Amino acid sequence: MKEKLVLKDISQPARQLIEIAPKDLMKLPYPYDQPDREPPLKQLTEEQRTKYEASLDGVLAIGIPKPKSKEEEEEFVEKFLSGLKKLLSRENNWVFLQPLTLSLEYCLKCQTCSEFCPIYVSSGKQEIYRPTFRSEVFRRIIGRYLKGESKLLSKLTGRDIELSWLTIARLAELAYRCTLCRRCAQACPIGIDNGLISREIRKLLSQELGIAPKEFHELGTVQQLKVGSSTGITSKALESIIRFMEEEIEEKTGKKIRIPLDKKGADILFLHNAGEFLSWPENIEAFAIIFDAAGIDWTMSSELVGYDAVNYGAFYDDVQLARIFLKHVQIAQKLKVNKILLGECGHAHKVMCVVADRVLTGELNIPRESALPLLEDLVCNEKLKLDPRRNNFPVTLHDPCNVVRLMGIVEPQRRILRRICPQFREMEPHGVENYCCGGGSGFAIMASMNFPSWRSSISGRMKFKQILEVFQDVISPEIKKYVCAPCSNCKGQIRELFNYYNVWENCNIFYGGLVELIVNAMVDIKEPFIRWEWR
Amino acid sequence: MWLNLICYASILIFVFGFIAKARKYATMPLHLRWELYPVAHEKKRPYGGSYFEGLNWWRKPREKSLLRDLKYIGQELSFFREYFRRNRGFWYFVYPFHIGFYLLVLWLVLLGYGAILILSDLSIAAHSLSTWGRIIYFLTLIAGVTGFIIGAIGTSGLILKRVIDKELRFYTTPVDYFSLLLVLAVFVSGLYAWYFYDQTFSIIRDHIKSLFTFSPPVNMNPATTTFLVLTSLFFAYMPFTRMMHYLAKFFTFHKVRWDDEPNLRGSKIEKKVIELLNQRVTWSAPHIQSGKKWVEIATEVKFPSETGGSK
Repeated sequence: MKEKLVLKDISQPARQLIEIAPKDLMKLPYPYDQPDREPPLKQLTEEQRTKYEASLDGVLAIGIPKPKSKEEEEEFVEKFLSGLKKLLSRENNWVFLQPLTLSLEYCLKCQTCSEFCPIYVSSGKQEIYRPTFRSEVFRRIIGRYLKGESKLLSKLTGRDIELSWLTIARLAELAYRCTLCRRCAQACPIGIDNGLISREIRKLLSQELGIAPKEFHELGTVQQLKVGSSTGITSKALESIIRFMEEEIEEKTGKKIRIPLDKKGADILFLHNAGEFLSWPENIEAFAIIFDAAGIDWTMSSELVGYDAVNYGAFYDDVQLARIFLKHVQIAQKLKVNKILLGECGHAHKVMCVVADRVLTGELNIPRESALPLLEDLVCNEKLKLDPRRNNFPVTLHDPCNVVRLMGIVEPQRRILRRICPQFREMEPHGVENYCCGGGSGFAIMASMNFPSWRSSISGRMKFKQILEVFQDVISPEIKKYVCAPCSNCKGQIRELFNYYNVWENCNIFYGGLVELIVNAMVDIKEPFIRWEWR
Repeated sequence: MWLNLICYASILIFVFGFIAKARKYATMPLHLRWELYPVAHEKKRPYGGSYFEGLNWWRKPREKSLLRDLKYIGQELSFFREYFRRNRGFWYFVYPFHIGFYLLVLWLVLLGYGAILILSDLSIAAHSLSTWGRIIYFLTLIAGVTGFIIGAIGTSGLILKRVIDKELRFYTTPVDYFSLLLVLAVFVSGLYAWYFYDQTFSIIRDHIKSLFTFSPPVNMNPATTTFLVLTSLFFAYMPFTRMMHYLAKFFTFHKVRWDDEPNLRGSKIEKKVIELLNQRVTWSAPHIQSGKKWVEIATEVKFPSETGGSK
């Protein structure tokens, strides 16, 4: 391994371009300031290394099998180049051509963005994780292989990177070392969007070469379109789960609440992650309790895709993205609802309200909104009877990037927390300048080989540091604390982070959504809704 | 006369290059929304909020503030606020570099204006009988000299920073150094020509007058000629480099980062979207029906048997 990497090294054979040593990682606050508190990064087995291309950083997110012949290698490179042309064409990529071109053509390489990237900083500033590294490699490949520059000009412009199977395989893995949080884009004085470039590399690989993490494609969007949900929950299973949740609501609160399914003409179609049904049913239960108390006319759908708001297409593939959100609005249209309301899922928020906006036309353009303003209305206009003393423990708020920086919903959730949590405190920075949880762009559901270990120790490190810092004065495990994360993906990542660092035992920090805190403060519910039981 | 031809060619290349670049970005197809908050024109939510914070937002009138938009642009153009806030070390040089460039452009405009006044029989000099002639003379002098000095300091700083700072050096190409050296050469040669040959800028003003009248340049000296050739080269070269980022920044901010315009039924956006959805797509992964229209591909699901990623 070389002491100092240069861009060209992306195409040079090596066992591994970088080595990640725990001592080089960004330091964490007490009680994780001791080296023995840092779990070692999981290493790949030799068998995995032999089978897959892992020479970028010894971590595998996609796991591209090594080619068996020279012909296979050449075909791969050709396909990549053909995809590259499509990515830069009006017909195939009208969806992002303008933002992508601007980001490719005008980076001044001032490196302002680097300090704003949590992955780069957390990793101890590993060169390959710098936001501009990946983009610059991609840019130079385009310059040399698409614009047909001579060797001399390539040297002068720095575009002398050799394109080979190895280069592409490493670049593909590198596109999955960015959470698409777009903090770098926010920091860039010119507006260069390295997050978008990462996404477009992923898209090229998926839409032309059929390469994507299994959790996104086969087990994600394909399963969702086939079975109904990326979790594998079928329509039939959903009904049993709903009945189970109704029973649980009664058991916890004494309230007999029916969760409406496929109610035609309801005011609201409520879309939430199917992941909640399995991992955090209390979140959907809390929504049901609130809607019931406020007299809201709502329904959920049991139709294929209609009960799972997730849309992993957002992270890697425009076609799958469109197929899923079209299903969602078609279901809403069939149910004749007035609007679609999005539960605590960040990327579903951004997809439905922002990204899908310029695809939905005519009757399909059904109003779509976040649940947060509605919850704010119910809490702050005293439409629910709440007692903040029931939430008298330290609470902090995690800002999901998709909801906050990428959609501008910043204050409703804060106004609620200020109202119902007397010990609410902010992380720094927060709001639109927040840090990603580290599980963004689908990382939270990626369980390939040693990727989860990388995700917890590097991509989630900055968020973990923020959580520890905000609770430093109450860090003792004798005091229970709550991280409010109104996003399913972020909750998943925080759960994994806390498991990885054994936070529940060491610091007694719990996590959950926003609605659980609202229901926990409801005066007509005798027992605390939040159970403080680690799962 | 060859000098005049170089100047004309430079102006033409710059103008056409600028128009071509602007046209390229302005005619790109409508893209999906990809905004990033804070959005400058948001009126009541300076913390970075959006209209999505309002219940039933589509029923409410949108409140946009042109003033806030202009305020942001003004702060950026005059102070380079983003660099000041986020990369102070770079700002110390990038700011004088740009101020030097602004002053260079202002100086050229004042020279051109002065040349027109001379053609209208007004004297541009320190002791001109016309007050306006004296004002233009001194403004030109100040803009030129301070521009050359500040610009040269900023450019030298940027070059040094790129050479010394490992983070920057790693990504800087020979072409990037060439661009900066060319700008430095413009500032330094301008300063040299002024100090040694043309302390009133009358020679260069006369030259600009000759450009207006299509007549041969008069009283030229090697230093001023060198400066003019370098400046012409710079303006002809600029449209083909990253130095056009000021144009790109306009599109990046107004057409991407701050483009939060919702697609309402019956709107112009909707019309454009319908056209775009009817384009044919040739992506060829197994799950895509290559050759069909966007709208067909999105509505007819194809299940591939397998993709390349492995677990």
